[in-house]
Order: sequence, then structure tokens, then C-alpha cells
Amino acid sequence: MDKIMEKDTANYKDYTLLSYHHIPGVHNIDVFERAGGYEMMKKWVGAEPETIKEEVKQSGLRGRGGAGFPTGVKWGFFTKDRAAKKYLLCNADESEPGTFKDRFLVEKNPHILIEGMIISAWALGTQKGYIYIRGEFYQQAVILEKALKEAYAKGYLGKNIMGKGFDFDLYVHRGAGAYICGEETGMISSLEGKKGQPKLKPPFPAIKGYRGLPTMVNNVESLAAVPWIMRFGAAEYKKFGTEKSAGTKLFSISGDVNKPGVIEVPLGTTLKEIIEVHCGGMRNGNKLKAVIPGGSSSPVLNADDSYAVKMDYEDVASKGSMLGSGAIVVIDETRNMGDILKYTLEFYHHESCGQCTPCREGTGWMESIFKRRESGKAQKSDIELLDKTAASMRGQTICALADAAAMPTQGMIKFFRPELETYVTTNVNSNKR
Amino acid sequence: MSSHGVEKSHSQGAPFKFTAENLAKYEELLTRYDDVESALLPVLHLVQEQNRWLPTEAIEYVSELMKIPEIKIKEVISFYDMFYDVPVARNMVHVCTNITCSMFGGREIYQGLLKHFDTDYLTPTRDGRISLQKMECLGACEMAPCMRINNDYVGPVDLVAAIQKLEELP
Ligand SMILES: Cc1cc2nc3c(=O)[nH]c(=O)nc-3n(C[C@H](O)[C@H](O)[C@H](O)COP(=O)(O)O)c2cc1C
Ligand code: SF4
Ligand code: FES
Repeated sequence: MDKIMEKDTANYKDYTLLSYHHIPGVHNIDVFERAGGYEMMKKWVGAEPETIKEEVKQSGLRGRGGAGFPTGVKWGFFTKDRAAKKYLLCNADESEPGTFKDRFLVEKNPHILIEGMIISAWALGTQKGYIYIRGEFYQQAVILEKALKEAYAKGYLGKNIMGKGFDFDLYVHRGAGAYICGEETGMISSLEGKKGQPKLKPPFPAIKGYRGLPTMVNNVESLAAVPWIMRFGAAEYKKFGTEKSAGTKLFSISGDVNKPGVIEVPLGTTLKEIIEVHCGGMRNGNKLKAVIPGGSSSPVLNADDSYAVKMDYEDVASKGSMLGSGAIVVIDETRNMGDILKYTLEFYHHESCGQCTPCREGTGWMESIFKRRESGKAQKSDIELLDKTAASMRGQTICALADAAAMPTQGMIKFFRPELETYVTTNVNSNKR
Repeated sequence: MSSHGVEKSHSQGAPFKFTAENLAKYEELLTRYDDVESALLPVLHLVQEQNRWLPTEAIEYVSELMKIPEIKIKEVISFYDMFYDVPVARNMVHVCTNITCSMFGGREIYQGLLKHFDTDYLTPTRDGRISLQKMECLGACEMAPCMRINNDYVGPVDLVAAIQKLEELP
């Protein structure tokens, strides 16, 4: 667990989510409080909720779970009826391949998330909250449970928080190994004790969510950003990042770099800087071939685009991909893109929840091309078929998983068609990479 | 998730019931939710903590306890990769075979472990010590290739190191 690389965040030290991480024992509430933790909760719980919501809106914070929808705008859709029963749900499912930033945050500093959730719960008027954490993160769930216990003992959770007449209960809820439970409506089904099958939107969870009641779903990193937005204000937050992509962002970087790990940098930092400065450059000094910039659902960038792109929502989109969860997978010249696509498609087929035909069948067909390869029966034209299948899956389904499988497939074909054609027609047994 | 259908459940040939301690934990779990059904996942985790897997007898017990139809519980069990409706070994080992881990040999490690321990997906080794399960991205790609041994992450590992770690298991 200690192997995670901690990167130099000195420049943004006083402002960042990771700014507490260098403090030994900061997962203990007393240490966290000595470092200024829970000050914002004490200041803002009891204050005018609209002021908090407005500050978050003005900050330009965008949801860090993948879609990048402005958090303050989403909060604005939530009922203002404070007496109405409603829920705050933290998405700690973190299953998008390549993503491991929320784990890092929760493991090192669970209280920053809890503080963010208490402030958010007050602003939104929710009485109960859950942190839905993927089943594999057992030790992280234990860390959170312990931190919650500490917060309850201090009177920061439960009935009549700090004598302010505000009740908020917060619990950890463990998933059990299903990627689709990261999708917010799938997560809600799962929390209801059912299969994690997504539901058609609208109605959106903010209107009709868990148990049919208004439910605000936010990612770990989004909620953990709230305390420092409330500490320094929206204007300070906006000084980091770009005009449309405000603030700092956690990136989890893996693959062919010397120092994989989690970093926090302002949005708009170049991918080149991330690879060369923050991750110690390419492994073995190999040449860069491609980068998956935002988790397995995001289309791959070739080397040129990778070296040109700035990591913010707009610039990555302008290159035909997406910032997603900030999961960067770096791929060097020794890799075959056929392998990468094969791993990706096997994943989506395995994780399709099976409700929608285009997704259930489409992910299966796409994977089967790579199965045919194993028996030497795949043809060059299969790549065209792959492209067509992917295209036909898009925009047809209950949730975005089908698109998440189709988009990277098409992106891969766009840049690496000849390589893929050779890959599927190469006899597997005679050509071990 | 592993399958779309509901498979036949397996008997362990002996009744299941929560220990007194786990029954107390169960009661505490219920207080966290506004309805009983929402506690199903945590309750199934609790059963597995006690019994490792979820035989027919445990499903019947949970169904009775929570007043949830057995078929619904079976559906849920078959949906999630970490709920087991077949017997599994004392130690559960998850090997990641997703993108980053596969780039660094995750698949060869999984295959190598199956071969070394002469077993298959989930099937307990003959001494009942180890069950191996390949998994999608475990959310720890900086440790690639990585695996989970019971509740702890290890990585990066190679096949030799992986075998050694598993041979040390009780
Ligand atoms: C297939 C799929 C998987 C997703 N997985 C995650 C996830 O693991 N973690 C997450 O925070 N959001 C995930 N999301 C996004 C959530 O649906 C939701 O938008 C997000 O949790 C909202 O929080 P945010 O606004 O703070 O980003 C996923 C979406 C889809 C379509
Ligand atoms: S798109 Fe796929 S994962 Fe999403 S609801 Fe439909 S079948 Fe399930
Ligand atoms: S790919 Fe193995 S942990 Fe992410």
C-alpha cells in the first residue's frame, strides 16, 4: 500500500487535495485537525446553504468521476426543500481501467472526503449519505470506517451536529466487483440491494434516485475539493487551470513511464510535462507510441497528439478524446495496439450488464474478432467490421457503457488500422511478441 | 460481473447460521439503511466472512432473515464477481488481467499460477488452500502487474514472486 509514488506538489501546496498527504498520520482525526482539517466544516455548517452552493458553482469545479459536468450546476437541480428526505451518495467505485486516484485519496486522507461530504450535505440538506466503495478496496473501506467513527465521536456526524440542529449520518457501503456499479444509476440499483443495472435517464438521480428519492451522486475527488473551495473561495480556485477547466486535478498515470503514480496538477498541464517531469520520463528511454488519456473509455491519442495536448476537458476533446477520470495509460513503441484493444474489448464484454441488445451483443461481437484470431480465422476485413459494429452501438443504450466500449475501438482504428489488420491476421502461435 | 443468468446453487451439506457476533453485526448493519433490502450486499459480505462462500443453506438463511425471496438473492450473487456460489478456498487470490497489468505480464502470471497450482478459475487447490480468480482492473495500476491476496494488494510481482507469496499462505 505504501508503494504509491508521491509526487512533488510544492507549488500548489496550500491549495491542493494532496496538500495534507505529507503529514504523517493525517488519517487520524487529531492530526488532520491540527493541520487545519474540519475548520471549513465548523465555519460553514450552519451558514446559508445557498452561499455554499453558489461558491461551488462559481469555482467552476467539474465532476471528477468522468463526465466533467459542473458540480454546482448539478447541485442546482437538487430540491431546495430541506425537510424532504434525500441522500448524498459518494461514488468511490473507481473501476474505470487505469484509474486509482480516489483510492489514493481515501487511503491517505479519508477525513478530507468526510469533511467535504459534511459541508456538501449541509448545503444540499441531505440527512443521510453513503460512500459506495468498490468491493476490492477492503482496506480502504476499513480506513474510512475508522475515520467515520472518529468523526462521530467528535460530534461531526449524527444528530444535531456541533449543536447546529443539523442531522447527517454517513456510512460506507461496499460493492462486490462490478464495473457498472460506477455508473450512477447502476450504483443506486446496487445500493438498493439489487443487481447493479443502470436505469434510463431521465429521471436523473438528483430528482429520483435511491429508493425513488432525490439523490446527489458525486465522485470522491469532487467532494474532497469542496473544503478548499470554501477555504480560499471560488476566485482563488479559478486561478488554477484554464477558463473552462478550473482547478487542480488528480491524474493516475500507469504504463510505460519510470514513475507511475498519482499526481495533482492544474488542469491544462501538458501531457508532455506530466510524462517527462512528473513521471520521470519513458521507461527504458523508449519512444512514446500512444496514450490513453482518460481511462479505458477514452479514445487513444497517437504520439504527436499526446505530446501536443494539454490535460483539460476542452483540449483533450479537441483531439477527439476525453479527459474522463484522469487515468493516463502510457504506451511505448514496444507494444502492439492489437493487444491493448483486445484487453479493452474483453473488459467491456465482461462488464456489460446485459440489459441492452446493442451493448450485450455488440461487446460480444467485438471481442469475438479477437477470439477468431486465436484460431487463425480472423481476416483483415474484420477491422472494418469492428469499426461498423462499434459505430452501431453508439447512442442506443440505457447507459454509456456501450459508448465507452465503442469510442476507444473507433479511436484505435482511426490511428492504428494497418497495425490492427496485421494483428488479427497474424497466427498467434507463430508470433509471440 | 460474471454471468447474466442465475446458476443452480450448491449445497454445502450442512446448515448455515450467523454466529452470535455476526448476528449482532447484522442487526447493526440494518440500522444504517432505510429499508432491509439495501443491506443485502453488506449482509452477503458478512456471510462470506464467516463461511467463505454462499451455499444454498446460506441463501435460505438470509432469505428467511431478511424476508427477501431466494431467487432475488441468487440473481444478486450471480451478478457480482466477488460473491461466490461455488466453494472457494481458504485464501482468495485476485490476479488483474486488465490493460496496464497485462502490458506487464498479468495474464502470463495468471496462467502460470493456474498451472503451478494445477487448478482452474475459482477451483480450490486440492489442499483447499488457494482459489485463483482473474479480475478486471483492480484500481492499482501503478503496481502493475498486481494482485490481491485476500484483502491486501501486492505488486508489482512476477510469476516467481507470485508463486512464492502464495506458497507462504496458510
Ligand atoms: C460505465 C460507467 C462507469 C462509471 N464509473 C465511474 C466510477 O467508477 N467512478 C465515478 O466517480 N464515476 C463513474 N461514472 C460516472 C458516474 O455515472 C457519475 O457521473 C459520477 O459519479 C458523478 O460524479 P461527478 O459529477 O462528481 O463526476 C461512470 C459512468 C459510466 C457510464
Ligand atoms: S449499455 Fe450495457 S451496461 Fe449500460 S445498461 Fe445497457 S447493457 Fe447495461
Ligand atoms: S490494470 Fe491492473 S490494476 Fe489497473
